[in-house]
Order: sequence, then C-alpha cells, then structure tokens
Amino acid sequence: MPASHQAGFARRRLFPPAAACLLAAGALAGDAAAGPATSWYALRVQPILDRHCVSCHGPEKVRAELRLDSYAALHRGGAGGAVVQPGQPERSELLRRVTLPADHDDVMPSDGKPLLAPEQTGVLARWIKAGASPEAPPPPGEEPPAVAALRPAAPDYRPFLPRLAALQEEFGVRLVPVSQQPTDGLILRTVSAPARVDDAVLARIAASEIAPLIVDAELARTRVSDAALPALARFPNLARLDLARTAVTSTALGALAPLARLRSLNLAGTRIDATARDRLRQLPALEQLHVFGTPLADASP
Amino acid sequence: MPDFPLDSRHVVTIPAGGSREYFDLQTRRQFFGRMAGGLGGAALTALAGNSLLGAFSRARAEGLLPPGSERLPHFAPKAKRAIYLFMGGAPSQIDLFDYKPQIADRFDQDLPPSILGTGQRNASNIRQPRLAVVPSPYRFQQHGKCGTWVSELLPWTAKMVDDIALIKSLQTDILNHNSAVTLILTGNAVAGKASIGAWVSYGLGRANENLPTFVVLVSKAPTPNGEGVQAVFPNFWGSGFLPATNSGVVLRSEGDPVLYLKDPRGLSRDARRAMLDGVQAMNAEAYEEIGDPAIHARIEEYEMAFRMQATVPELTDLSDETAETFALYGPDARTPGTFAHNCLMARRMAERGVRFTQVFARGWDSHRSLPKNLPLLAKDIDQPSYALVTDLKRRGLLEDTLVVWGGEFGRTVYSEGALKRDDFGRDHHGKCFTMWLAGGGIKPGIVHGETDDFSFNSIRDIAHVRDLNATILQQLGLDHNRLTFKFEGLDQKLTGTAPAKVITGLLA
Repeated sequence: MPASHQAGFARRRLFPPAAACLLAAGALAGDAAAGPATSWYALRVQPILDRHCVSCHGPEKVRAELRLDSYAALHRGGAGGAVVQPGQPERSELLRRVTLPADHDDVMPSDGKPLLAPEQTGVLARWIKAGASPEAPPPPGEEPPAVAALRPAAPDYRPFLPRLAALQEEFGVRLVPVSQQPTDGLILRTVSAPARVDDAVLARIAASEIAPLIVDAELARTRVSDAALPALARFPNLARLDLARTAVTSTALGALAPLARLRSLNLAGTRIDATARDRLRQLPALEQLHVFGTPLADASP
Repeated sequence: MPDFPLDSRHVVTIPAGGSREYFDLQTRRQFFGRMAGGLGGAALTALAGNSLLGAFSRARAEGLLPPGSERLPHFAPKAKRAIYLFMGGAPSQIDLFDYKPQIADRFDQDLPPSILGTGQRNASNIRQPRLAVVPSPYRFQQHGKCGTWVSELLPWTAKMVDDIALIKSLQTDILNHNSAVTLILTGNAVAGKASIGAWVSYGLGRANENLPTFVVLVSKAPTPNGEGVQAVFPNFWGSGFLPATNSGVVLRSEGDPVLYLKDPRGLSRDARRAMLDGVQAMNAEAYEEIGDPAIHARIEEYEMAFRMQATVPELTDLSDETAETFALYGPDARTPGTFAHNCLMARRMAERGVRFTQVFARGWDSHRSLPKNLPLLAKDIDQPSYALVTDLKRRGLLEDTLVVWGGEFGRTVYSEGALKRDDFGRDHHGKCFTMWLAGGGIKPGIVHGETDDFSFNSIRDIAHVRDLNATILQQLGLDHNRLTFKFEGLDQKLTGTAPAKVITGLLA
C-alpha cells in the first residue's frame, strides 16, 4: 500500500468528528504554516515546547531571538541560526541543547528548570529524523495516547470469520477475537497445547492473510525459537507478545524492530542477556518489558 | 504441560456452541428444516440479521467460531483473567487498613449516636446496653511512594501498596455471613443465582480447552479450634441458571484434586477412551435427533473430564517450582491446603489460562478474641497475597490478571461482648469495609473512598458490592448491563435489578 494511501486511510478513520472540527477550525484560522491540528508536530512536538521552552522563547520573553511557540518560528531559528536540521537530529541545535548533561553550561531549559524527560527528547529526535514536517501525521506508535486509542487495532475481522475455524485447524492454534468490536483484532492463543506450536507454524501464520489481524501473540512455553522472530515481525499490528519460557535468545531480537505497535513484550524465563538491551530500544511503542528469570535480569543491579 | 493432539478419531464432531442462543437457533433450524425443507437456512439468516451481533450469532450457529469464543468480551478487556482472594468471615478494616488516629483516645467511650445513625441493626447493637469504641490496638505506618497507611499486622501487604488500589468505602446490605457472601459473589442474597466466576466463565469462554474455566481453592483456617470459621457453600461458586459447565471446579488439597476424575485402577486410558467414544456416539446421535442442550453439555463435560485426567496432575504438581518461588510465598507454601499453597496454585492457573480462580481464606469472623486471632489470620494471608501479586508482576502476568482481595463485609468500631484492653471482639458491619484490587487495568497506589472518623460510615465515593462486581466485569471486557441470561422471565445479570455503576476511580 502506498504511503499516501495509508495516510489518507489513517486520517479518514482515526479522527472523530470533534477532531475533524478542530482541523477545520485550524484551516479557517489561516495558520497554514502551523499544519493541521492532527499532525505529529501539533500533537506531540509543540506541547513539549509549550511546556518547557515557550516561557523564555515565546511572546513573553524572546531570549536569543528565538521563539518556539509556532512551527514558523521554530523553523526560522534564532540569533545563532537554524535550530532544527530536518532529517539530522545530530546536527540540530535544539536537540543538542536539551540532551546535554544537567551540569553543562549550555543545557536547556536553563536556570535549573526541569529538564526534558528521555521520552520527550525521543519524540523531538524522531520527529526531526523523519523530516521535521509541520504536516505529517504521527506514524504508528507516535500518537498521543488519546489518539492512539481511537485508531483501530487491526483491520475488520468480520470478513475472516467464516475462515477462522479452517485456519485454526490448519495451524493448530486458536485465533480468538479480542472482543466483539470487529477492529480489536485477534489473539493467537496456544495455551491449550503450547508444545504443538513451533517456528514452522508461526512462519505459516505470518505468511497468511490473517497476519495483520493478530494483535496479541500468546506464545509462552511454545517451541518457538530465534528462527521465529522474523516471522513475528510480519504481524504489523502486534501489540502484545508473550515469549516467556521459550528458547528465544538475544541474538534475533533485532528482528522485532519493525513491530511499531508492540506495547508489551514478555521474555521472562528465556535466555536473553545484556546484549538484548540495545536491540529492544528499537521498539518505539514498548511500554512493558518482562525479563524475570533471564541472564539479563540477573545481570541488572 | 502435556500435549495431546486431539486425534480426529477421538473427537466426536459436534458444532461449536453451547450457548442458549445457539440452541435457540439450532432448534429453529430443525423446525424450519423439517417444515419447509431448504427454507430453513434462509429463514435463519433473516433471523440473525446483518448486524454485528448477527454476524456473531451466524458464525456461531454455522460452527465457524472456535470453541472458547462462543462468547466474547463486549470490548477489549484490560484483564484476561481474575484471581479473587476471598477472606471468608469478614476481616476487620479498622485493624488492617482504615487508620483512625482521631479516635485513639476514645477507648471504651460510647459510640456517638450521630455516628451510629439508625440504619444498621446487628446482634450487638440490639442486645448490648452500650456500644463501646475500641480504637485499633495496632500501629499503622505509611508505606510506598503513595504513602498508604497499613497496619503492622500486614507488613508484606505494606510493601506492595504502590501496586494495589484500596477501596475503603464499600457497602453491603446483608449482615449474615452466608447471605452476605452469596450477595457479593452472586449479586443476590438468596442462593441460586450464578456466581461471579460462573458469569466470567460464561462471558469469556474457555481459554484453555483442557482445564476448567473457573477453579475454586478452599484454604484451611489458621485459627485454633475453628474459631471464627464460617462454612463455605457450593452456591458461592455455582452456575445457577447458567450452563453447568460454568460452575466452579473445586480442587481439593488432599487425595485426588478432583473427585471421581481418576480412572479406577486397572482401567487403561485407551479403554476409557473407547468407552467414551461409544457413549459419545450415542449422545451425538440423540443430540442430532432431538437437539436437547443438556445432551450437548454432557458430551462436552465428558470430554473435558477426559482431558483433565491428563492436565490436572501437571497443574497440581509443584515440583517444577524453584526454592526461591516457595520462599517468596512463605513457609506454608509447600503444605497443600494452606492459603500460601493455594496462592501459588492460583498463579499456575493464571499461566495456564484459567479465567477465574477463587481462593477462600477462612476464620476471619472475629466476634471474640480478636487480639489473639487477628494476628494469626493476617499472618496467614499477608505474605502469600504479596507473593502472588509480586510473582504475577515479575512474570508479566499482572498486566492482564485482575487480583481482588476482601471479604463479605467489615467489622464494627465498637466491641462486641465484654471489652478489655487485650481482649475484645468486633461485630459484623456493612456500612464500610475495605478491599483491594491490583493489576488488570486497576490504578496502582491509590486509596479510593473514605470513611468517617470511626470507620463506621462511608462518606466519600461510596460503592456498593454491586458496583465492585460491575467493575470486575468491566476490567474483563464485560459490560454488566449487557452480560445477561434469560431465566424466570428476567434478563438475569450479576448486578441484579438495582442500579450499579463501574467504580471509575479505581481504573487506570
């Protein structure tokens, strides 16, 4: 699916009438440079600037000739020139200043005001890296929680219901709707007979038409191993993944990086070690990570 | 977990289903089929309609949905399962959680009439000449980042206050044990309605095809001579009007975990299978002919029992638990029948997809000798409750497991019977009592609701036990107003006919 189509789909489906009104109001106000109220910038970036920067770089005070209270002003930069280099977070002065150590002379916010949290600098970095657009909608995993909640978890499962029983039979797993809401997705459930599920089964499910519907893969105590992780990366809407007590190791975890919506990952009782850390950092939406009973947990303070 | 592929030879083919609607449709289909030949299918489609729910009914009726999704949550659930630690006999909120320093100097003073009000009549305030206040003799301290006050009797629970939500403003209508337990667990004080575990089982269906959806574990009381112990009755976990497969299955701590499950000595599994196949074939024939739901239920139960013959021994065999895990649950954890052992069992149920596990603790009915017995009771449940929450949390299970702790009502601030510094009792109390919830989308580290200075009346965010039940269902993805079953001319529901509301203040 082309990216533009995807975005159009997202915009049509994601935002309730109230958000659509906001969008219309923004357009009427004629602030074209601000982009739509539903852009990544408006939803995630400007709120951070408003909270931490605008009191000294806004209408009240304009330190260093820099204002950060609108996209146009941010784009214009200050006395020292541009503060954002689209696509290059490492060359963007804005990001450099807010990620300095607390005791550095140049750190922002200055004067001992609270510094930005890593999640906030992460948002800035990813937005700049993606091109620092005023208009682009937030990619998956980057929406603020309220908007994320409005987005369907998966495509409508109703057209698949007549085939579910046959698919279950074929794969030897259960495919259970999360709820009666047809866009809540399916659970891949194996608890009745986990030993029947191995890498080959998972590869076949990943290659099937049902893969985009699966939001929750319950694979604890199955026989899946590192070879299954590339297959798991083909479940684009996967939000929860339970690999507890499987043979998975750190080696293949990088293969999970495409899972932009993965919120919860259970690796308890696996053999993952400290090298898993960097690989897991690539998961943008991850909120819950469980590593009890692994060499990684044993190595942590 | 043992794996036994369901060999097609061994499976009697029956359509997925088991729900009342299914059978209604099925009966209609037979009717149309017999009366009008090929018209039946068209009529069925017309009946089911094109709505979303129609799509479900249709898929169910056609056998397209897998077993276990006969029913689905109304909306995406926060919790896939629940563990309910039930403190039978009613724990004293004022000595455990509801800290009242305001009355520390009121020992043996009369309860002010303004506090007593007129609402509650229990044995002591009918019979006793006076109602003498007993401040809790136990020290309270603030714990955790949230600073929740907890009594010295619960040092382990105190360690997890940042993981749990206390609710102090619960109320119930009933002050006798059996009826009050029946009320909180079935939504009605009169026995015979479906229990909360049965409703959850019915509403969510089976996650593990080889284990019951609802398991009950009854613990031994830690008090001497059965003091403070109240009976537990099977209606506390009964299925009432719901299909019997939703009833709680009691796992016993001595002898066979499930009565009559084991084959007689000398009977091989193959012989049992062959016998079952014969019976099931006859049952299937009878079901084809007359479509009686009871036959369908019987077929399902025989098959479930056969599968449980293989799964229950593994479930109850704790030999794969580490010494560290046993140590977490405490010294009693190795002794079957203790609350500690049952909490460890409850975690194993959660791992294996049991939807609802209810652990009964007993002995909390502290009419007399509270200073002697309450420390024993608290000690009995304290470390295991902490261990369960902690163990679920570290294994990644707490995020989708709801844990509930509490009893059928609270206890009075005034003494029942003679009052001495070191010996007194507390009577039943329904106007305020404390429970806690954890995991499964519950907001951690909070205290919800408030009581007056005497822990006598709920004064803020008052919640009825119906509201608690609505909240438990909500976290499991079930709307208590929509989870209904037609019986005796009424759409029965767990929360009954009186209004109930989800306690939103408890939700994350």
